[in-house]
Amino acid sequence: MNDVVLRMKNITKKFFAVTALRDVSLDLQPGEIHALVGENGAGKSTLMKILSGSYPSNSYEGSIEVDGERVHFMSTHDAERAGIEMIYQEISLNPDLSVAENIFLGKLPRRAVSWFVDWKKTHLLAHEALARVGLDVATGAAVRLLSTSQQQMISIAKALYRKPRILVLDEPTSALTEKETATLMRIIQGLKDQGISCIYISHKLEEVFNIADRITVLRDGSVISTTPRAAVEASRVVEDMVGRKIEMMYPKVPVPLGEEVLRVEGLTVPSHIPGKKIVESLSFSLRAGEILGLGGLVGSGRSEVVNALFGSYRRTAGRIFLNGREVTIGSPRDAIRHRLGLLTEDRRVSGFVGTMAIRENVSLASFRKIFGWLFIKRGVERQEVQDLSAQLNIKTPSIETNVLALSGGNQQKVVLAKWLMTDVRVLFLDEPTRGIDVGAKVEVYNLMTELARKGVAIVMISSELPELLAMCDRYIVLYGGAIRGEFSRAEVTEHNFMSAATGVS
Amino acid sequence: MSEPSTAKPAARKGGKFWQRMSNKSELGIAVPLVLLIVIVGIVNPVFFDGDNILNVLRQSSFIFIIGVAMTFVLVGGGLDLSVGSVLALGGVISGLALLAHVPIWICVALGILVGVAVGLFNGIVVSVFKIPSLIVTLGMMYFARGVVQVLTRGNPVYPLPNDFNFLGQGFIAGIPVVVIVAAVFGVVGHVVLTQTAFGRAVFALGGNRETARLSGINVQRVTIWVYVICGAASGLTGVLTAARLASALSNAGTGMELQVIAGTIIGGTSMFGGSGSILGTLIGVGFMNIIANGMVLMKISVYYQSMVIGAIIILAVGIDQYNRKRRGMAG
Repeated sequence: MNDVVLRMKNITKKFFAVTALRDVSLDLQPGEIHALVGENGAGKSTLMKILSGSYPSNSYEGSIEVDGERVHFMSTHDAERAGIEMIYQEISLNPDLSVAENIFLGKLPRRAVSWFVDWKKTHLLAHEALARVGLDVATGAAVRLLSTSQQQMISIAKALYRKPRILVLDEPTSALTEKETATLMRIIQGLKDQGISCIYISHKLEEVFNIADRITVLRDGSVISTTPRAAVEASRVVEDMVGRKIEMMYPKVPVPLGEEVLRVEGLTVPSHIPGKKIVESLSFSLRAGEILGLGGLVGSGRSEVVNALFGSYRRTAGRIFLNGREVTIGSPRDAIRHRLGLLTEDRRVSGFVGTMAIRENVSLASFRKIFGWLFIKRGVERQEVQDLSAQLNIKTPSIETNVLALSGGNQQKVVLAKWLMTDVRVLFLDEPTRGIDVGAKVEVYNLMTELARKGVAIVMISSELPELLAMCDRYIVLYGGAIRGEFSRAEVTEHNFMSAATGVS
Repeated sequence: MSEPSTAKPAARKGGKFWQRMSNKSELGIAVPLVLLIVIVGIVNPVFFDGDNILNVLRQSSFIFIIGVAMTFVLVGGGLDLSVGSVLALGGVISGLALLAHVPIWICVALGILVGVAVGLFNGIVVSVFKIPSLIVTLGMMYFARGVVQVLTRGNPVYPLPNDFNFLGQGFIAGIPVVVIVAAVFGVVGHVVLTQTAFGRAVFALGGNRETARLSGINVQRVTIWVYVICGAASGLTGVLTAARLASALSNAGTGMELQVIAGTIIGGTSMFGGSGSILGTLIGVGFMNIIANGMVLMKISVYYQSMVIGAIIILAVGIDQYNRKRRGMAG
């Protein structure tokens, strides 16, 4: 078969008991742009890691053929040799090397005596490579000094220089401005004319519908549909992405809502890319006992919203009102003083202190409670932590146990206990159930309900749509840093939620 | 009370000693220390003479005072290489003031204050401008030494008044003044590190700076204080060293930063932040000085001393790394 460049057949990948990909098949024609879409965790990245050789060919079932020939990639090097180049969302250039060095990394042109690099030729070829992507920067400049979008363009130039037959782009536009995105789209169209095939992964269905020839939807590790773009509606793709989920226990108990606790007006969070904003003029309010679902795909600005409200990220504008009174929150310290709490996305990085015991971790944000004017009140600390440990059912021999010795679910409960100890009235939960087992998830849900009943207002972020829909009273869906949809519990469906999150509606 | 914690109280009590032994890394070095004392004592009973013990204590005190402060710095996830130079600076400033007939207590205060100033600078540069502590304090090590050399032109600052020299040479109730100062410093340091909000914040900072920040700890202020403490301790030790020698030397404390760091990490304080103790530092510094003293008493060439200490440092850090990995893998 000559009309197929790449054929991935019946790929099944398991991580211990978890099946990440189930019998996935995907093919790619010469000059085709094939879009791969799906929710977070649908298996897109896993599939691409298989294609790029990051997962060696003996770690999964199924086969890969390039130009009709069976290949066995044991490393990313093998895949590159077969003409497959990847461009990742996170830029994988070496920031301290020059543009030219990055483009030719590991393959620098040599002089006759091959110990020496032919720098003249290097820069000449680099200049050509840059011209191909329409980027005008000095080839000798350090990559660190360039903007994120310029760096992304260099990644692309680097990939193109290797003359790939297949180019995989994983969320390439997340760091680009609209104008740069348009440039990228033109480049990809140009590649198509040269007969180079692309696999294009994106959350942004708008983009996908602009550029793709065919669209494959992945969900829960399986291919749901592969259809030519011309033959499919955006709404249909959203439906496929969402599908019908496995029912799970979501112990949501509606509680009567109280007064307005938190009101945000015009929140704007700048991006580290100058001139770009991650969140722009966002306003919303929250009542006591309410659980607000903050939706949106990765990169929509949802984490930035809660981090900015908590004083952890800088914000350029935005007024925050607590119980009707305006407050200034310039640091997490201020936020905690106003009894706000933030459970961060990654507990290892910013949730707990790995060198400390459970006791010290739980009391970490409550120094006012456990320290007198000079010395610690050990009895108070031990008693409070012991009580919280029992309340949250943290499974440990003792509160003196090091937090790293606990399971993921119990570590998460330790971080939750930390915020409970501060007597929070507004709690931001960023992916509260990520990486914890089902039993612990249900315990987290129960705790949320219990807090809501006590009048705590909660903002919940989750990439697991069913969980988010089941647990919240109201939903705000972000797309590109602005509110794209707002739904009550009665109105929301997976379909209208995902339509807003992907920017379709 | 959660169920598992009440399940086997008897078993817990019995195993408590061993549990503590394995949890507290400074006790790992305590056993070899006791062994060392016993061996040195058997080979040469002179070791247990009152004079020799006082001598070892006095020698240890100078390093221990800075070691206490260095424990704060290391636990907080930093490093201070400037202590030796700041020691010389503190001594020289104090000495020059003495020669100008400034009252003694003011001279002592000046020596400490110059250390505070250096620490303040180090702390601000490290925490506000986010320059690695290794770089900042390495630069300060050279800079402060340079200031000392400019001030003294390489000449010793003397003669210093006898009332001042009492601080380094005198005894109170049969105990060297230096040892008393070190003991007070050690006790206060221990209490601050283990009993106060500041101490807890230092541990949190070194264990995970981002978590500490998001838990409402003023990480910049804590960092600055840690370096201020270290500068003050170095300045104070400089004053004591000048008093001990009856003159302030421009090359005082050369290489001392490494001795201090060695003693601190032999005592189980982690180079990676987040764990350590003053008790450990006491044991670690004691260990180094007893080896030095013991080798002389056992008539072993002092040339072997550096080899032994080097081997112990690698061993101590290796054990610390192993323990961290074991804990990390359990999670």
